[in-house]
Amino acid sequence: MKVTVDREACQGHNRCYLLCPQVFDVDDEGYAFVRVEVVPQEFERKVQLAARNCPERAIKIETSDQG
Amino acid sequence: MKQPIEELARNFDFHGKALDDAFGTYQRLRQECPVGHSDREGGFWFFSRYDHVFKIEHDTSTFSSAQGVLLPPFYNPRPMIPIETDPPMLAKYRRILIDMFSPKTVDAVTPFVTKVANDLLDKFADDTGADVAEKFARPLPMIVFCSLAGFPSEDYDRFQDWVERIIYGRTSDPEVAKRAVAEVYAYFEQLFELRQQEPPREDVMGRLLVAKVDGRPLTVEERLDIAFLALLGGLETTAWAIRSNLWYLAQHPDDRRRLAEDPSLIPMAVEEFLRCLSPVQTMVRTVTKDVEFEGASLSTGDKVVIVYGSANRDEDKFEAPDEIRIDREDNPHLAFGIGPHRCLGANLARREVTVALGEFLRRIPEFRFADGEPPVWHGIGPLPMVFGD
Repeated sequence: MKVTVDREACQGHNRCYLLCPQVFDVDDEGYAFVRVEVVPQEFERKVQLAARNCPERAIKIETSDQG
Repeated sequence: MKQPIEELARNFDFHGKALDDAFGTYQRLRQECPVGHSDREGGFWFFSRYDHVFKIEHDTSTFSSAQGVLLPPFYNPRPMIPIETDPPMLAKYRRILIDMFSPKTVDAVTPFVTKVANDLLDKFADDTGADVAEKFARPLPMIVFCSLAGFPSEDYDRFQDWVERIIYGRTSDPEVAKRAVAEVYAYFEQLFELRQQEPPREDVMGRLLVAKVDGRPLTVEERLDIAFLALLGGLETTAWAIRSNLWYLAQHPDDRRRLAEDPSLIPMAVEEFLRCLSPVQTMVRTVTKDVEFEGASLSTGDKVVIVYGSANRDEDKFEAPDEIRIDREDNPHLAFGIGPHRCLGANLARREVTVALGEFLRRIPEFRFADGEPPVWHGIGPLPMVFGD
């Protein structure tokens, strides 16, 4: 699984950072960015949860057969 | 007999008593008249679906904030900053304060918030009961925010009074609100002058004295227009949220016990309470050009009301939307708005509410309403409780 945050769309709601700080970090102004682009398997579910809870739809997930 | 939908729409209101059964009203509007026109407050369009709110909030050029975001207004003399500004100035003004309300800053002040909660609880947690609005929900955000903002703690009663006269007074008597607004501006003008004589502090007031926008310092007016918004925005909304959450938990012992036993569930519950019992039910925009939008023919100057409270219960977005499920996983609610006007104080508000509930439940795990008229869910009125089972 790969995850990215669309920095233009991010408005700093920080749902992702609250739900999965292992994958999502925030800068000094509170805009989100990913710590790692390839999501460790144990965080895949939380990353999907973060994406569903982003009101701006700024989180994009790419899954392949390899995960 | 059900009120005809045309009548419901024409009389749609979102203040005071109209909020008692807001959610029943919203449901009917979404199903029978999601886009309509009310005759209240000089007339406005309303949009009650999630999708509408998403689009409106992201189209700041058609739906401007510069001519006011409230109906009735607070009667502020100039636009409040940044909430009543449009791009490109909007982002520039937000940048002045945004780091002070970032998640990492909020993490750093969490121990202080926890201390404030416990100091307040010390005064009544061992009693048989209390008005938890007066003793907890209202003072907690007051103390926390005033500290971060640099508003003197000895003036709490004045802030409380001004907030009441402006936020609640405006709907019954504009003159009451106007007088209070003038007093707030005079107060802040004096406070800024005082602060200018000392080294700048690390708080909102201090930041406004040193901040630059477009390479130049803020004007006296800009500072006042920001401080005014900070006062109005930082206190009452969070108090409402803490109060409405305790209102719910007083009536739902199973949910209450779950949260008391496992405080790690509280943040998710807070999101659900934000979705369902949000302090900001609506905001207003002004149409800048004649345009067809979602079936409505909007004209330049028309007022448009975005109904977050309804969008947050949209069946198209949320499963069983009128059920409060404290473990709801899919919850991209709009309680803090969306797009470039997303509430600047959102992270702080969330943390205040989470800590407030956590500490309250830790020290008073069992509580219910005191006998008498059950309190309404909305506002910052009394919330008398009895403690213990």
